[in-house]
Amino acid sequence: MNKQKRCEGEERRLNWLINFKLPNYCKKIGWGILLVSLLLILVTKLLDGNFDLLKNILKKAMLLGLLIVTISREKIEDEFIENLRGKSFSFAFIVGVVFVLVQPVINYIVFLFFKPEKIIFKDLGDFQVLWFLLVVYLTAFWSLKRRNA
Amino acid sequence: MKNTLKVERAILNLTQEDLAQNIGVSRQTINSIETNRYVPSTLLALKLSKVFNKPVNDFFKLEEND
Repeated sequence: MNKQKRCEGEERRLNWLINFKLPNYCKKIGWGILLVSLLLILVTKLLDGNFDLLKNILKKAMLLGLLIVTISREKIEDEFIENLRGKSFSFAFIVGVVFVLVQPVINYIVFLFFKPEKIIFKDLGDFQVLWFLLVVYLTAFWSLKRRNA
Repeated sequence: MKNTLKVERAILNLTQEDLAQNIGVSRQTINSIETNRYVPSTLLALKLSKVFNKPVNDFFKLEEND
């Protein structure tokens, strides 16, 4: 009996985590964080000086902004939207893995053509991968939503 | 699967928006069901059945290749 109760509790907590969404108004906050950090990154590019730490923080802020947009509810969050979310997440995941596998090879080929003396075979950083995943997810979600409007 | 949601809606003189509000989904969801782009859950189908006051089988029908 106790074991069953514990299992049910765990399942409830897991479901809560899986279905966790922020309220709809958080979407605007997410966009705000993303835009401000994007602008500040552009400003640091224009100014002279060492902004490595600031840039790192701003990149994290951009990811945070995108994540908030991703997990914010739609105005009406129903099962159809949940379905679109599922499709978009799986699409983004597959495209993301393909991107990680293919991108270094493309980089290598481009270098071969333009700077054969300095060939770099570099893997992607966590920021690029996460940024790509989130952007692909949001693009897929919006296009599916628009197609079904 | 095909459905006659549009017909049932017309019988009750409901717009997509009315029906959507009635069962707590978006108008887009009703539109997607009507145009066969989305198959609703059993829960939603039963809610529709309650609104139309008809069994689910009356407005959702299996096709040969289903």
